[in-house]
Amino acid sequence: MTKATLRTWTATLLCATAASGAACKSRKSKPGDGVAAEPPATPISALEVRAVTADLTAPDAAAAYWKNVPRGLVTLMAQPMVTPRPETTTTEQITVAAVHNATHIAFRLSWKDDERSEAGRLGEFSDAVAIQFPMRELARTPVMMGAPELPVHIFHWRAQYQRDKEQGKPTMLTLYPNMSVDMYPMEFKEAAGGTVEQQEGFSPGRAEGNPQAYQKSGIDEIIAEGFSTSAVQAGHSGSAHGVWANGTWTLVLTRPLAIDGGSVIAVGSETGVAFAVWQGGKAEVGSRKSVMMSWLPTRVL
Amino acid sequence: MSKVKNWHLGREIEYPYDDHRPKRQWAIVFDLNKCIACQTCTLACKTTWTSGKGQEYMFWNNVETKPWGGYPLAWDLRILEKLGRQDWGAKGEYLGKTLIEAAPPNERVLHFFPTDEDWMYPNVGEDDCAGGTVDGGMHLDALPHDRWFFYLPRTCAHCTYPACLAACPRKAIYKREEDGIVLIDQARCKGYGECVRACPYKKSMYNPYTRISEKCIGCYPAVEQGIQPQCVVNCIGKIRVMGFISPPGQSRRDNPVDYLVHEKGLALPYYPQLGLEPNIYYIPPIHADRDYLKQMFGPRVEDAIKAYRELPDDPRAQGLLCLIGSTDRIIHKFDVKQGTAFGYDEQGAELVRVPVTETVIERAAFDSKLGAARHNTP
Repeated sequence: MTKATLRTWTATLLCATAASGAACKSRKSKPGDGVAAEPPATPISALEVRAVTADLTAPDAAAAYWKNVPRGLVTLMAQPMVTPRPETTTTEQITVAAVHNATHIAFRLSWKDDERSEAGRLGEFSDAVAIQFPMRELARTPVMMGAPELPVHIFHWRAQYQRDKEQGKPTMLTLYPNMSVDMYPMEFKEAAGGTVEQQEGFSPGRAEGNPQAYQKSGIDEIIAEGFSTSAVQAGHSGSAHGVWANGTWTLVLTRPLAIDGGSVIAVGSETGVAFAVWQGGKAEVGSRKSVMMSWLPTRVL
Repeated sequence: MSKVKNWHLGREIEYPYDDHRPKRQWAIVFDLNKCIACQTCTLACKTTWTSGKGQEYMFWNNVETKPWGGYPLAWDLRILEKLGRQDWGAKGEYLGKTLIEAAPPNERVLHFFPTDEDWMYPNVGEDDCAGGTVDGGMHLDALPHDRWFFYLPRTCAHCTYPACLAACPRKAIYKREEDGIVLIDQARCKGYGECVRACPYKKSMYNPYTRISEKCIGCYPAVEQGIQPQCVVNCIGKIRVMGFISPPGQSRRDNPVDYLVHEKGLALPYYPQLGLEPNIYYIPPIHADRDYLKQMFGPRVEDAIKAYRELPDDPRAQGLLCLIGSTDRIIHKFDVKQGTAFGYDEQGAELVRVPVTETVIERAAFDSKLGAARHNTP
């Protein structure tokens, strides 16, 4: 066995012993966490978005205006249209409320999830939620990811992306605290001399500019025209913040009413929204999710 | 679901996409009788492709000891167990279900999902013997041996019907028209891990740094220039050769891979019953347990071993085996004439020639001209 062989095997074995390292998988909730107790919600077949006089540019789940807004329950079920799909429905209901201030619209969502999951290591997936808007004619746009010429505009929040925003993108050592590695190409102390571009050549996802490989800012904005077509858009017009406490995620997502190249919501009009939820702890990701079977008619008052 | 032709199984199988074979198909043939698990292939691949962040644990090429080794842990036993008992017919046709045919209604491929611990022991079971303990003074004096193990070098098989490609809900995986190499689009992948779940050979791997999946790329930048992959050209035992395999009806006698797989029946696909038509082929180890070999390489194992033992009577096959490992270039055609084996490139230009039998020169033990004894050292 050459020295190089020995080094690599050693690195691998040391990496193997890193299994005990703490990942950011499940967390106990802290009391309070800045979210008011949920008022009762009732099942709804349409959503009313009331006008408020408040700044809605940043998400705020504890804001006073939410106290006067009715909360509706919307039923979800395991995504049924394409494989792979969940065997059973993991998230059966999502509680929804929404307000607008003539320039922005904010949604306050909550759903049950026993385990907080942020992903990171192999085989770990993140809790997530998505809000979808039609970009053209609501009546013809399929609720499941749209269709060719009938695109949908999706805001996809992940606990993983929120952690990125708040704590930075995890390093390998954050994910595997006990791992050991001799060196990375072009990064070995002062002898390396590699430019960032040269170093990133060893990370194909980054070299290709895949947004997944870079630090996220909380949410992805996506446009899709049917299954398998979702494409992450550059730039961010919306923002979201979620808090997990007592087995429930509460999240507020806010976005401008009108987004160039995206969906446009007019005050006084009727449109539709749809929600999807992923439970990372149940290995839900991609098409393994709970979804709505039809658009939720939404009146922007 | 489409019906596609899988010649490994001698029947049509179900696949989510239509039959569309590439113009030619990348393939590697390994002679397992020669592999010594030196891991030079593993290191050649590792240092070429997976030295970056998030790739620390990755071995796109690995060598494991069978039957006890497996990277990730017990990958083959776990998928075989999930598939359950399946049978081959008397004529070598497969009577069982493939992984896609056996998938539950909510899945595209029957699979198991390895945890990260499963990837952490790439050399587990190394050199562990099957068939009982080995006591002092024991002899192995018959074939197959009653105590046995063998080394299994593995890369991505760039399957004709890849499970990873079938499972990707983003259609981020594609099979190249020009050489059949299967790639994950590093700009399109979103790291759902469906390919990691679906590939039964576990050759799609998740990179936790870039948060997307990666796999063996068949050294396509080399292949595009007519050069064989790193794991092949660095093999010090000269046990492997990369080339392009034809479907059986179009087999060419002067194509090295076709000759070993189709013409001689020496090399067999591994776990063909999983139904993906994998394109890495193995000359089975003649000393190992036959039932185990049949489970791994299918019903033609006995014929392959018979063909292997008849090699001393076949100068053409002998010549080809001498060519393997003698050039970095892809040998598109070969010929053996007058005791010399020739390898040619795609245009028919000679790449290499080697003697089928090395010339033996006998010299006296004492050099009287120099007044010195000759030692058997170079």
